Amino acid sequence: MRQVAVTGVGIVAPPGVGKEEFWQNIKEGKSFVSPITRFDASAYPSQVAGQVKDLDSSHLSGRLLKKMDRFSVMALVAAEQTLKDAGIDLAKEDPYSVGVFMGNTLGGWLYAETELRDLYQKGRNGVSPYNASAWFAAAPQGQISIHYGIKGYSKTIVADRAGALMAIGYAARIIRNKKAAIALAGGTEAPVTPYALLCCSTEGSLSHGPYRPFDKERDGFVIGEGAAIVTLEDMESARSRGATIYGAITGFGTSCDGTHRIMPDQDGRGLAKAIETTLDSAGYQPGDIDYICADGAATELGDVSETRAIKKVFGSYASKIPVSTPKSMFGHLLGASGAVDLVGTLLAMQEGVILPTINYRTEDPECDLDYVPNKSRPKEVSRALIISRGRGGINVVLAIERS
Amino acid sequence: MVNIEEKMKNFFAGFLDMEPAGIASQANLGDDLEMDSTEIVELVVALENEFNIQLKDGEITNRNCVSDVVKTVGDKLG
Repeated sequence: MRQVAVTGVGIVAPPGVGKEEFWQNIKEGKSFVSPITRFDASAYPSQVAGQVKDLDSSHLSGRLLKKMDRFSVMALVAAEQTLKDAGIDLAKEDPYSVGVFMGNTLGGWLYAETELRDLYQKGRNGVSPYNASAWFAAAPQGQISIHYGIKGYSKTIVADRAGALMAIGYAARIIRNKKAAIALAGGTEAPVTPYALLCCSTEGSLSHGPYRPFDKERDGFVIGEGAAIVTLEDMESARSRGATIYGAITGFGTSCDGTHRIMPDQDGRGLAKAIETTLDSAGYQPGDIDYICADGAATELGDVSETRAIKKVFGSYASKIPVSTPKSMFGHLLGASGAVDLVGTLLAMQEGVILPTINYRTEDPECDLDYVPNKSRPKEVSRALIISRGRGGINVVLAIERS
Repeated sequence: MVNIEEKMKNFFAGFLDMEPAGIASQANLGDDLEMDSTEIVELVVALENEFNIQLKDGEITNRNCVSDVVKTVGDKLG
């Protein structure tokens, strides 16, 4: 794949709002998962989440805010950050050459479930007319495009927990194919609501306590909320305008397991294929990869099949590659997770650090790779893979390179 | 009617997150105040609740100006 530059990052996540606060907190390997306080979660099997505590949306009018769910608000905050970081004023760009690509899983459920409650309690007149445009998965793409006057090739990707990484992959292709000059790409998710948590709980994949990927005592993942959006440009264009370049997106691959509505293929064959496709598209050999940012669902089948997929592709070299799941610190941001993983990995590569998998304490013989347990590790990383996986066997892999 | 007009401007100001002084009587709901059809729906329900009146579909649209809304509501209140 022709190189695509990442020239800006925007992040709203439990460890911090903005890249500086986010990075300062995650590099320490601390936990940002806490008891849910936004509503009474005492009847739920999982009562913890990664929650964004200080979201400043004061630059948005009250008239606009009442029309949006939290997932759109977080997306607008992340979009503002990434454009500022990239030093791009969209008012000076051809709006038809700018696109927005967003991943999301659940839609704006707090808005939707509140209005459903009002529908049944107060009747038709109790429902906000904005519900129709607030709840659905493409609302953040719409709000970002309206806010900045973006009119180019754009897309919302709903691919369960793989949505954001898939959105970034397709955005990179659009830049590579010169269908757009600038793309805002990432994801947003606001699952800390009564009904969204219930839906996640009924799947049976949520943890009661610490989120322990690849650990023998794992009991599932913890949900997290937030948004992350990167700015993508053609590498040559980015260099010629003197942009700060965080890194390059060099490869992208995706596949389906085609096996079960929830569970992944137990041997990770679909994921292995997606990894191979990504390596091919980047022109890499397996030995070129220095680090893998894993999905780390912390379900037995999820962790074992991910480990098997990595071993299938990398063979004996697999044990030499650090494989970590930094989201163990702040929860799984579902349809936004891949974008958070990309931002975290790019910042870590700049600092010469590998982020850890925290809460790790008991080895699992089936998961025998180097998961970078509990503490960040100094290491120069030139090329990395990021993995996202969704229910129903969706696999997405992105290859990135330090500039 | 004067009281209704003042009350209505305050109502619009709160509704649109604007200062009352920015709400002109001749301001068109669509062209000047940039209200779309969903905001008109919210406005109609809010007016019904605020003034305890019933408004029919189409009685207020975004082609009306603020003074039209004052008259419509004023007539309902008698």
